[in-house]
Amino acid sequence: MNQEISEIYTEEFFVNMGPQHPSTHGVLRLLLKMDGEVVLDMVPHVGYLHRSMEKIAENRTYYQYIPYTDRIDYVSAMFCNQAFCMAMEKLANVPVPERAEYIRIIMVELNRIASHLIWLGTFSLDLGAITPFLYCFREREKILDLFEMVCGQRMTFNYMRVGGVSRDITPEFIPMAKEFIKYFLPRVDEYEDILTNNPIFLSRTKGVGLLDQKTAIENGVTGPSLRGTGLKCDLRKDEPYSVYDKFNFDIPTGETSDVWDRYMVRIQEMRESAKIVLQALESLPEGPIKTKISAVFKPPAGEVYLRIEAPRGEMGFYIVSDGSPKPYRLKIRTGSFSNLTVLPIISRGWKIADVVAIFGSLDVVLPEVDR
Amino acid sequence: MTSEEIKKIVTEKFPDKLKEAKIFGFEPTFIVEKDSLLDVCLFVKESKELAFDLLSCMSGADYPDRFEMVYLLFSFSRKHKMSLKVQLPKDNPEVESATAVWKGADWYEREIAELFGIKFKNHPDLRPLLLPEDWNEGYPLRKDWTGKDFLKMPDVK
Repeated sequence: MNQEISEIYTEEFFVNMGPQHPSTHGVLRLLLKMDGEVVLDMVPHVGYLHRSMEKIAENRTYYQYIPYTDRIDYVSAMFCNQAFCMAMEKLANVPVPERAEYIRIIMVELNRIASHLIWLGTFSLDLGAITPFLYCFREREKILDLFEMVCGQRMTFNYMRVGGVSRDITPEFIPMAKEFIKYFLPRVDEYEDILTNNPIFLSRTKGVGLLDQKTAIENGVTGPSLRGTGLKCDLRKDEPYSVYDKFNFDIPTGETSDVWDRYMVRIQEMRESAKIVLQALESLPEGPIKTKISAVFKPPAGEVYLRIEAPRGEMGFYIVSDGSPKPYRLKIRTGSFSNLTVLPIISRGWKIADVVAIFGSLDVVLPEVDR
Repeated sequence: MTSEEIKKIVTEKFPDKLKEAKIFGFEPTFIVEKDSLLDVCLFVKESKELAFDLLSCMSGADYPDRFEMVYLLFSFSRKHKMSLKVQLPKDNPEVESATAVWKGADWYEREIAELFGIKFKNHPDLRPLLLPEDWNEGYPLRKDWTGKDFLKMPDVK
């Protein structure tokens, strides 16, 4: 007996995390090389949700593909709609009426809040705080009600069209949206009361998962995760698309680039988005909501790459058109795809429980990675 | 920096290696000779005036007579952009990996390698990314690919 015990020794071992794991929010498999509880190396395996979006696009007309874009990232479907339609407008030079641009911005910014709410809820749930999860979904429900009022859908909207939006907002929408913003801003303070200075939350997030700016840019990290490293970069300000140049808002950035900073950036972004929505609602111009274009949409032959600032970083569409009603080639660039590549680098040396916090702080949505 | 100024700097450095092309929204665009791709990439990244530090997106495309690789670049410090293209032959398409310049090219190249069958020289780890491990039905994003469940939609006029 004693001899057997003396033969036990410590060694490095592998742990398989996923594909079905409560903290991956989708289907992601992480292969971890462990030394006790410390992660030495990690290999992410993706592709479980690969739906061949890019091949499908080559086999559909441009109009038929708009509902598919909803499914790229169902948490922030308005952004996928907007990016795709804007790429088409750029390629075919279709003007968008001003009212449509304003409505788009109201919708995407509400969607950004909804997306960050999901992130905040699930992220805090991963760290063991259940209350914020319930609070976040309570507020998100109100945003989904607003979306339902406008386009009849709660998740996959199919709302935007090439040259505008599919239908005008109803008269009841504006007071309801204003009321929501008034209700929502104190709620953000409430989340902060629960989390921001909570000692347990701080010990799980402060100084954990440091992502330095150089590594982030090298690996193509964008969005709030990059702003968490202190870089002031936001496509809405860097190259203002749509009518973002008419609104007054700030770009929150972090300082120490840890998990807590990425959390703080998103919390503040929700406030900024609420600010934009309120400004857009107040200055919403009258007029048409859609430019009339032909029933079969044939953009001229050419190539376009257009990107927008989605909640998870840059979302871009690279489209090659050969002048036919179907795209010749369509490539979707998503924020999560590049943001996930950095996970092994920033997880090394942390405990396995921290991997959950670090992964949560990157806000990766798996269908967006696999497409 | 405006697209004209970028164009001037790059064409002065590589006068006979570039041809012009056009990608809307990401001008200027150059078609680079295959062998000098890494030199051009390194130059546009390291040059102080250009400083293209972000590989925003990378994509491949299958044309009837060639494969094409597209590199879409953005500079955070200078807030300007440009794009590069490389044309590859149909038989045995092979190109230098851009991971030596931008680490972010890693997963993009893995994706392109499995979906288009383009080989990347000196890539650190070219395992399949999205497709199943036992996939043996060819390269799905090639235009001549047909799988057993692939149904072509009727043409629209």
